[in-house]
Amino acid sequence: MLSNSDRTYRVLLLLVLTLVSANALAHGVDDSTRSFLQQNTGVQFVPFLYIGAKHMLTGYDHLLFLVGVIFFLYKSRDVLLYVTMFTIGHSLTLLWGVLGSIEVNAYLIDAIIGLSVVYKGFDNLGGFKRILGWQPDTRGAVLIFGLFHGFGLATKLQEFQLPEQGLLTNLLAFNIGVELGQLAALVFILIAINFWRRLPSFERFATLTNTLLMSAGLMLMGYQLTGFTLQYL
Amino acid sequence: MQHTVSLTALVKASLAAILIAAIALVTFILPAEYNIDPTGVGHKLGLTLLAEAAEASPAPPQAKISRAASKQVIEITVPAGKGIEYKFHMNQYDKLSYEWMTDGDPLYFDLHGEPEGDTTGYFESYAIATLDSMKGSFTAPFSGSHGWYWNNTSDEAVAVQIIVNGQFQIIGLNP
Repeated sequence: MLSNSDRTYRVLLLLVLTLVSANALAHGVDDSTRSFLQQNTGVQFVPFLYIGAKHMLTGYDHLLFLVGVIFFLYKSRDVLLYVTMFTIGHSLTLLWGVLGSIEVNAYLIDAIIGLSVVYKGFDNLGGFKRILGWQPDTRGAVLIFGLFHGFGLATKLQEFQLPEQGLLTNLLAFNIGVELGQLAALVFILIAINFWRRLPSFERFATLTNTLLMSAGLMLMGYQLTGFTLQYL
Repeated sequence: MQHTVSLTALVKASLAAILIAAIALVTFILPAEYNIDPTGVGHKLGLTLLAEAAEASPAPPQAKISRAASKQVIEITVPAGKGIEYKFHMNQYDKLSYEWMTDGDPLYFDLHGEPEGDTTGYFESYAIATLDSMKGSFTAPFSGSHGWYWNNTSDEAVAVQIIVNGQFQIIGLNP
């Protein structure tokens, strides 16, 4: 038990250090990332790894969904299973979307990602069981929404019209970066939630938290759908 | 374990979620992001300034980058018996100086530009020759893709090193 939490703290410390150094590098990174992506050709493994990880760590839509998914997962085995489903889902469509040059509307995809957050919040409240009398398969839902999250990642990369040269390797690096970023975010979320679970307030605020999750998802949807509508006005 | 809340609590939670989201959208998010401000609250809070600032400088980041001169060294290989294109996107009056050389054999090339959005296949050639190296510069007469077509008629692949300096965005290889 002691060694277990000891290990957790060590991982945490390592991650904090990584993040601190990453943040130092990331100062004003948005413009530089953009010009980097548009001016560099050929294989750029580590930069793409970094961009992928950064995108995931700063992508609140992906993180909110992850919070919803693991909110009621108590066993590490379950966390691993569900995160794997999510990873399979978004990796498939990220690779397929970019390599197949699938054109999807970024606003619509991001609205669906918002919907995934609403869905998970509602599901966590037992909403489907209450309304439908049964709960849709949660693993299937994570996989399917994972597919949409992957298209969302793909649209972000496609904005940059990457040169064909070294595309596959760069894309794989980006994908691995996404998983590393997800892992780092997950460690923080898990530690926070596991700590909170021991307190009585967890049960008391579970309903409130998931209500806020739904609300945040609705905001994302409203934001993206308005953007979509304006695009065609 | 996951609990199922009562129907009343579920309805309350859902309505609360919608209400909070609607208020946040109408008063904060839409005014700040899109300058849509039905209540006027966004204006009072100064949030619409954010959207106005974004509208006032609609310069796409691509254009910004292509204004700044940059230098690039690019290596490509023209396969035996094949012709390939390497292009840059440039705005009208953007300048590009270049220097390129093959690893030995001369190649037939056509340095040309195609106007943006053109579908007729029109292009304008700036230089056509068969050489193993060339140095020069040009100013884009129109916005569009500009660059080289190289044709390798030999039975061995030819490597080309290109050094460019100027205002451009790489489009890349077009086999």
